[in-house]
Parts: sequence; structure tokens; C-alpha cells
Amino acid sequence: MPLPSPSDLCWNVKFPPGQEWIEKTVRGAIETIWQRAQSTARAQLGDESLAVEIMEVAIQKAVNRLNNGAPLEPGEASLVLSRLYAQEVRRRRNGNRKLVFLGSSAELPAKPVQNQFSSVDSSLDLEVILHGIPSEVRLALLMRYSRTRWTEVAAILGTSEASIRVRCQRALKRIRQRLGINEHGK
Amino acid sequence: MIVNPVDPVRKDVVAEHQPLLNDDQNDTLLFEKLQEYILAHYPNPERVGCPDPAVLKRFSDTPREVELSDLKDLHIFKCAECTRALIELRRQREQAKTL
Repeated sequence: MPLPSPSDLCWNVKFPPGQEWIEKTVRGAIETIWQRAQSTARAQLGDESLAVEIMEVAIQKAVNRLNNGAPLEPGEASLVLSRLYAQEVRRRRNGNRKLVFLGSSAELPAKPVQNQFSSVDSSLDLEVILHGIPSEVRLALLMRYSRTRWTEVAAILGTSEASIRVRCQRALKRIRQRLGINEHGK
Repeated sequence: MIVNPVDPVRKDVVAEHQPLLNDDQNDTLLFEKLQEYILAHYPNPERVGCPDPAVLKRFSDTPREVELSDLKDLHIFKCAECTRALIELRRQREQAKTL
């Protein structure tokens, strides 16, 4: 599935009411830096798809910055967004560096450890995966789970198929990771 | 790690390792695996917190008419029994189509 377009990235952003210029400026800034942002995520973190959630964090920070500071020219806004994005990439890269391998595979037990609480752990995992997702996305996932087609799900929710799939993407990605399934074409 | 190919214990370890599976454009495999996962991990024989069977039927036949609150939010994702009911309703629906 292709990464969302710059306008898709704004769906979850809370723009301040009555400040339309902020939304317009931020959308312009995203369009300017989005391609480069994807390359940066691929080069620095090894996963282009991380660009989406990193960009969402950067967008929200940029919106807050524009709402609380003086108005900026489009070029300056792009620079601000670009810096906030780079800051978030650095934060994640440093976080990844803290994960280090200890010992070697020779020290692993010969048999897999049987965890008597595995069903409880699974339950917690799915609760975490689906925690905090919007109600429309919840309903879309349930409909798809009962084998309603994406096109029909979109029609019921009054949106496009691409739009609802992008909105479900994060939850689906987490479920994929948990179940060990590769996304189509990846 | 050096693995002895004739060591049965080591063969078990290798067999436990599952490669990543590839999905299609409609995420079919994801939802099938999710269904298997829920059937295996969320037994609910007492049907605690389940939505009304009529709601499940309406959700299967005409999802447009059902609200998230009717389904008790994400309950179905934590209930093997509701998942079984949906599978059966789907089977009935598909059977009715072919008649």
C-alpha cells in the first residue's frame, strides 16, 4: 500500500479553530518536505513507513508553534516543520541505539519457554494495539473483520476507500506485526 | 548457534519459527489470521458482555444499520463466541445467495 499523501497526513491533526492560515501554511510545508522526509526515514531508521507517524508528530508540534508564535512565511514554516521532523527522527534513532544485544544465541534455552499466562498476555496485547483508535476506525475494522469489503466499508462511512484504509493503517500495521504478516507488496 | 540437524529438540526450535506471510491488497490474510487468533485466544463460553444475537445478524446482513455501541464497542475482537457466530452468519448468507 502506498504511503499517504500530504493531505492525508492532516486527518488526525487538531488545527485551532478560526486560524485557517495555519492549516494552509502547514499543508504547504508538508508538500514541500514530504518526499525528503520519506527518504530520511528510510536512510536513518531503515523503514520508510515510519515517516507517517513521525510526520504526524512534527505536524502537531508545528501547529502548536504557529498557534503560539508569530505568523511565518511559507518558506519559514517548511523550515520549522523540517527541523521538528528531524528532531523526532533523531529522538527515535537514539532510542533504537539504546536497544543492545546481550549474550549470544547459544545461551538460549533448548526448548521454547512455555508461558502459562500467554492467553492473558495476548489479551493485553490486542487491547494495547486497539487502544485509543477513533470510533470510525473501530467500526471500519469490525466491518472488515466480518468480511465487508473495503469499498463497502468506505461507502457506509461516507468516505473513500483510500481514506478509510489510510485511517486504519496504523492499527492494521500493529496487528500485522503481532501476527507476522507482511503487507501486500512489501 | 550451531544446530545439529538430527537433534530432535533443535528441530522443534526451528519448526516453531514461522516465516512472515505475504498478504494481498485487501488484507485478506490479516483478517483471516486475526480471526484464527481470536478463536484461539479469547474463549468466552459464558458469553459475558456479548451483543444481542439479533445485532450480530444485522451487522452481518446490513452493517450500515449497526452502531459501534450496539456491538459493545470492540467486544467481537475479544470474543471467540461472537467470532464463531459471525462465521456462521456469513456462511448462511453466502448459502442463501447461491440458492
